[in-house]
This record gives sequence, structure tokens and C-alpha cells, in this order.
Amino acid sequence: MVGFICNQNTANVKEVSMATLLSSSSSSLLFTNLSPQSLSQISLPSLSFSSSPSLSSSISLSSLPKRFSLSPTFSKNLSLSSSSSSSSSFTVNASIASEKKKVLIVNTNSGGHAVIGFYFAKQLLGCGHDVTILTVGDESSDKMKKPPFSRFSEIVDGGGKTVWGDVGAIGTILEGLTFDVVLDNNGKDLDAVRPVADWAKSSGVGQFLFISSAGIYKQTEEPPHVEGDAVKADAGHVAVEKYLSEVFDNWASFRPQYMIGSGNNKDCEEWFFDRIVRGRPVPIPGSGMQLTNISHVKDLSSMLTKAVENPTAASGNIFNCVSDRAVTLDGMAKLCSKAAGLPVEIVHYDPKAIGSDAKKAFPFRNMHFYAEPRAAKDILGWQSATNLPEDLKERFEEYVKIGRDKKTMTFDIDDKIIESLKVPVSV
Amino acid sequence: MAAAGVATLQHNFFKMQPSSVSLLPSSHSSFCGTKFNTSVQYKRKVCQPKGALNVTASSAKKILVMGGTRFIGIFLSRLLVEEGHQVTLFTRGKAPITQPLPGESDEAYNAFKSKILHLKGDRKDFDFVKTSLAAEGFDVVYDINGREAVEVEPILDALPKLEQYIYCSSAGVYLKSDLLPHCETDAVDPKSRHKGKLETEALLESKGVNYTSIRPVYIYGPLNYNPVEEWFFHRLKAGRPIPIPNSGIQVTQLGHVKDLAKAFIKVLGNEKASKQVYNISGDRYVTFDGLARACAKAGGFPEPEIVHYNPKEFDFGKKKAFPFRDQHFFASVEKAKAELGIVPEYGLVEGLTDSYNLDFGRGTFRKEADFSTDDIILGKSLVLS
Repeated sequence: MVGFICNQNTANVKEVSMATLLSSSSSSLLFTNLSPQSLSQISLPSLSFSSSPSLSSSISLSSLPKRFSLSPTFSKNLSLSSSSSSSSSFTVNASIASEKKKVLIVNTNSGGHAVIGFYFAKQLLGCGHDVTILTVGDESSDKMKKPPFSRFSEIVDGGGKTVWGDVGAIGTILEGLTFDVVLDNNGKDLDAVRPVADWAKSSGVGQFLFISSAGIYKQTEEPPHVEGDAVKADAGHVAVEKYLSEVFDNWASFRPQYMIGSGNNKDCEEWFFDRIVRGRPVPIPGSGMQLTNISHVKDLSSMLTKAVENPTAASGNIFNCVSDRAVTLDGMAKLCSKAAGLPVEIVHYDPKAIGSDAKKAFPFRNMHFYAEPRAAKDILGWQSATNLPEDLKERFEEYVKIGRDKKTMTFDIDDKIIESLKVPVSV
Repeated sequence: MAAAGVATLQHNFFKMQPSSVSLLPSSHSSFCGTKFNTSVQYKRKVCQPKGALNVTASSAKKILVMGGTRFIGIFLSRLLVEEGHQVTLFTRGKAPITQPLPGESDEAYNAFKSKILHLKGDRKDFDFVKTSLAAEGFDVVYDINGREAVEVEPILDALPKLEQYIYCSSAGVYLKSDLLPHCETDAVDPKSRHKGKLETEALLESKGVNYTSIRPVYIYGPLNYNPVEEWFFHRLKAGRPIPIPNSGIQVTQLGHVKDLAKAFIKVLGNEKASKQVYNISGDRYVTFDGLARACAKAGGFPEPEIVHYNPKEFDFGKKKAFPFRDQHFFASVEKAKAELGIVPEYGLVEGLTDSYNLDFGRGTFRKEADFSTDDIILGKSLVLS
């Protein structure tokens, strides 16, 4: 998605890409840094733009950035006149950002949340915003060989900047740069977030966003977790949320659960696929009725983007950063099986029976862990796009494409579990 | 008239005097639903003033209620009368046309009794339905007890100028799914036990009449004739363990009858509700185990002993060992919230407390306690251990 907006006062088109859109003008144009592919995807049947004398005299096709290739239709329709009414109209099939933002994403270098920054960066760039992603640690680290980091060239191709470093040195790393928005998608406690928050505050960042966790909600017998519900007082994320609310006038916290999506750093659906394609039983602790929320990561990036583009509405709020449907653990196994077009055998076991291996045995919490995105829907007008049955089909296609179905794997803990189920337990 | 109706509403209908000790703080008005969790809620666009009815300024209408003398209709008809509408209840007359609500003042009851009208008949007698309704003419029909589409046809035929047909359907129409909650756009099950409700909705849609269909989940509250909370209260009062099938983490959802009645009022004359379907129930869901504990809190009972069992190991004959479907069953009420501003007021424990204080706690209930299936379950458990 690309925005086309132009600042009427700018004489030189090269400077235009950094200019902000005049909100009153629906017919102004901004030529952003576009890759040839993204431009060709945009249909430009007609263009309407206001023309000012300065504009008409400065725009020439040769002065446009090199990557900006024009379709013949576009150049044909581009006629400028000094009269106030445009002689040709030009509509863009793209969402136009209300205001271009400079966004910094501080991203973790591993784990389930890593992929959030990747999608968010790409979506922001697609909407015409300026993006810098600071990944914690070293660019040369082995961690960078894994997705989504291995695909960071996509961020660069989209016009974003990628840098590496430690949050303690953030002021140095980003010296001279200013940002409108910062997203901390790294810290789980105040020690990790404070340096980022303090630097952001001192450098005049307007909006601070934080990736927290729905895991901080206190367990309840009345699901779902709704924003405002009691949280575990000693959780690191809770201390961060509190600090941010004290430091920033405009802040928001996003509490995610589990996510699927290409570029994920941590296994989610793969855990099920690994077993299903090998004809192995899928061991699920407890009854399998536990409800959880597994979202496509694009839901998370779209919610974050909504907050960036609606800062006043988002300010001071907690958002459960999840899709709007829960699935049971058994249900997830069944959906993965359907997506793979293969049968599944689910076996239930008592995690207590396998002792300390229980934690590593299964990638999800053994309890109802179910939040609903009510604040995002109410306050930001956000809608979920996750469609697990369809999304899992795509995920399975990629799973096979990368050859993971043929990979040799051992299932030591699974084997232990299955063994333990064969032995009759004396009462 | 509407304004006076609202004032009366606050004063008469909802000012119940609980006879037993209320678990709610004393400043709590018996109607207002105090939010159970007092932590700061996120900023909301839709703000409902507590206890206010937000009566839509609809002029007085001639309203027919199919049913109205057992549970939902009792609360709904009171609200309608207090709003100044002319309300007729169509029933066979098996239950008393009017009965005082627990805690209701004589003044309020008499005011209601003097205004409510009754049309005696069997709704399955389609000819009678058609002629009697045509003779009377009604602006709006609330169909609270309709089960089959055929029952609705004569009503529509009799009232060609009907302004709105408001139907009490059921969330039971939803097709079982691995993805929850059920939303109004989800697939429905044409083979479900509630297919009559589905067929009725389809008929209303096909006839082009201005209809609104409400799909409640499990309804609870004083005068409930379905043993929902009563089932737990019987066991809690008897100091018996509560047998719950399988894991006890099955998630269900209860909606207070007073919230449901208010929702029915909210859709009256509401253009936004035209030809729409709404899930109406509580704001949160609850596990079976959680519900047992919530009932205990509501009645001031100690925490119950819960016994889980595998229903497949038993043969209960025709008897139901547990009053809920043994599966997850809950629906999102966000559509009604977002589009109509319908926000349930009762939290679970406070709603169950209201039910206990006004009904079971006063010694009233609909079904006698029957612990025969419990004893089968507990008997076998005893043997195993």
C-alpha cells in the first residue's frame, strides 16, 4: 500500500518525500521512495491534484527519483496547468496516511515477538511512513541468520533503515536522528525498556508504544481477559506499563499472545506440522479444551499501525494485541491437520506425570489463555483479519516448500509421554 | 410520557427489597449493575450511564407479546408497560397472567396489573391467531415463546401493517466450531435442536418484514424455570458435592434476564436493529467449575467440593446429569454493544446474587431437588477410590 501525496509548497520534488501531507488537501501528491514492483501494483486510472505555479514549473519527469518508474498511462495523464482546477483526475488505489511519521522500532533479536517488528516495519513503509528498526545485539550474531532477520533486506528494499546495537547505547547509535513514534518490541522489564524510554522522552518522541504480553493477566474463571482486568503485580511488563504512563503524555501498550506468520522466529504451528507429517501422535496436556488465541502477525502489525495513525485515540490505552477468535488446543491440532490434508491422532496426558519435561513438552500454556481485542475494536476501529483455517494452509505450503517435512527430527519428550501413557497408573 | 416512564422504571421495577443479606455493598442500588472489577476500564466511545435505561423516544405503541407470563416476558412486559405502551399478553392462561415480582411493592404490582391486557388462546391454533390478531391490530409483536416458523406465519398474515417483529431466537442455532466465540455472521446448524428458531429467522427475512432477532445464550435470574442456577443452589444448600462432567474447564455464558429484557426494549423502534440478529448475554464467559464457585459466592455458601466424572462411564437413562451442554458454548455480544449501545449490567456473581436473593434464597424454586444422577456418579467414585 502506498500513499501519493504532495506538498504544494515544495519546489523540488526530491525534497517532497520528506514533506508531510497537508491534511486539507485531498488532491495533493507526494512521491515517496517506491520500488518498481510496488508502483506497478498500483492502478492509477486518474489523478486529481491541485496545481500551483511553483509546482507546475518544478515537476519534470526527469527530476523524479530513479526508482520511480512511471507507467505510460500516468505520464500521459500528467498534465499541469496554472488554473486551479486540475485538467485530469488521478485516483490512487491506496490508503493514504493522514500524516507521515518517523517511526523507530526497537526489536528483540529472538523469540516469539521478533516477527512483530518485521511486519510492522513493512506495513508502515507500505503506508508511506519512515521506518528505522534497531535490532538489539550484533548484526554479525548467529541469531541474525534466522527469520525474520534473514529477511531484513525486505525492509531495506521498502525504504527502511536497519541498525544494530544495545539499548544502553541507543543515544549514540541514533545520534542526530529524531522520531515521532517509538515502538519497544524488546524489553520485558524496566531494566530493558527504561534506557529506550528515557532517551525517547529526552529526544522529543511524541508517541511511545510498547509490546507487553497478555501473559500478565491474572488467571480467571471468567474469560476472556479484557483490557483493565487485574494483572500480576510482579510482572516485569506491568512495571514498564506503569513507568510509561508516568513518563509519556502519549503512550500505549499492546498485549499479544501467540502468533503465526511467515518469518516467525519461534515455532508455533510448526510444532503440530512436525508431528502430523511424520504420522506421529500429537501429545496435548490436560483435556485439550484449553482456549488460547493464535493470531496471524499481520493482525498485530495492523493494530500497531492504527495506533500510529490515530495517536490521540490510542493514547493512554492498553490493547490486547490478538485476533478476535479463540481456539482450543485440540482445535489447533485439528486445524493443522486439515491444513496439511493429513490425519491427526491427539493423545492427552497429565503433565504432572512427566515431571520436569512438562515445560519443554508443549509450546502453549496449559490453561485457558484467552484475551479479546475489545479496546482495539472500540477505540481504534480495528478489525481482525486472521483466518486460521486459511492462514494455516499457507503456513503448511511454506513448511513443505522449505523442506521441513523431510527434515530428520527426534521426539524424545514425545516418546517419554507416549511411554508413560502405556503404563497403567495405580490409584 | 417516556420521561415519566423512566422515572417510574427506576423507582418501581428495579427497587427490590432483598430479604436475605445482600452480598453487595449497601450503596449499591438493586438495579444498577456495579462493575465487578473496579480497576480502570479503558476509555470507551459508548458510555452507558449506570442504571439508566436510555429509553428511545418511541411513542406509545400497541404491543403484542406472545407469551410473557413465565420468565423473560414477565420482566419485559413490565418495562413495556412502564414505558407507556399498551401491552397484550397472548397465552393459554396456564400460568397466572400476572404475579407480583419478589420484592415488588403492592403499588407497583397493582399499577402493572391494572394496565396489562390478556388475549387467551393457543398459538398453535393458527386460525384463531390470525382472526384475533387481525381484529385487534398491533403495531409491534414480541415473540418470546415461538419455536417453529409455522407459528409465525398467521401472525404476519394478520398484521400487514406491522412495524416490527421482535423474535427471541437462541444462540443454540450456531454450528459447533473450534473457533469461538460465536458471532452473528457465523455458520448456523440446520440440524440443531433449535432449527425451528433458524427457520423462523429465515421466514422473517424472506417475508421482508421489519424484524429483529435476539439470540440469548443461557438465561438466568429470578423466576428462571430452566434449572440453571437452581441446579447449583440445590446442591450447595444440601451441602452436597457438585458433579461436573469431564475437565470442568468447558466455557459457557450466562446472561441475566433483566439485561435481556432491557435489550429487547432497546431494539424497539430502533432503525439500526432492522433485519438484524444480535447475540445477547453476559459480558464475560465462565468455566463450569467457575460457575459452581460463583453460585456458592452468590448464596453465601462455602467453596463447594467439585467432583469431575466421565459421563461416558454412566448411564443416566433419560435424566440429565448436568444442565449445560458438555462443550464450549459462548457468543460474542460485541455487535449489540457497538451498534446499539447494549451493555450488560450484571456481572456474573452479582447477577447470581440477585437471583438468589429474589428467588431461591427465599425458598422458591421451580424444580424440586433431584440428586439421583448425583448419587450414581458419587456412588461409583466412592467405589473406585
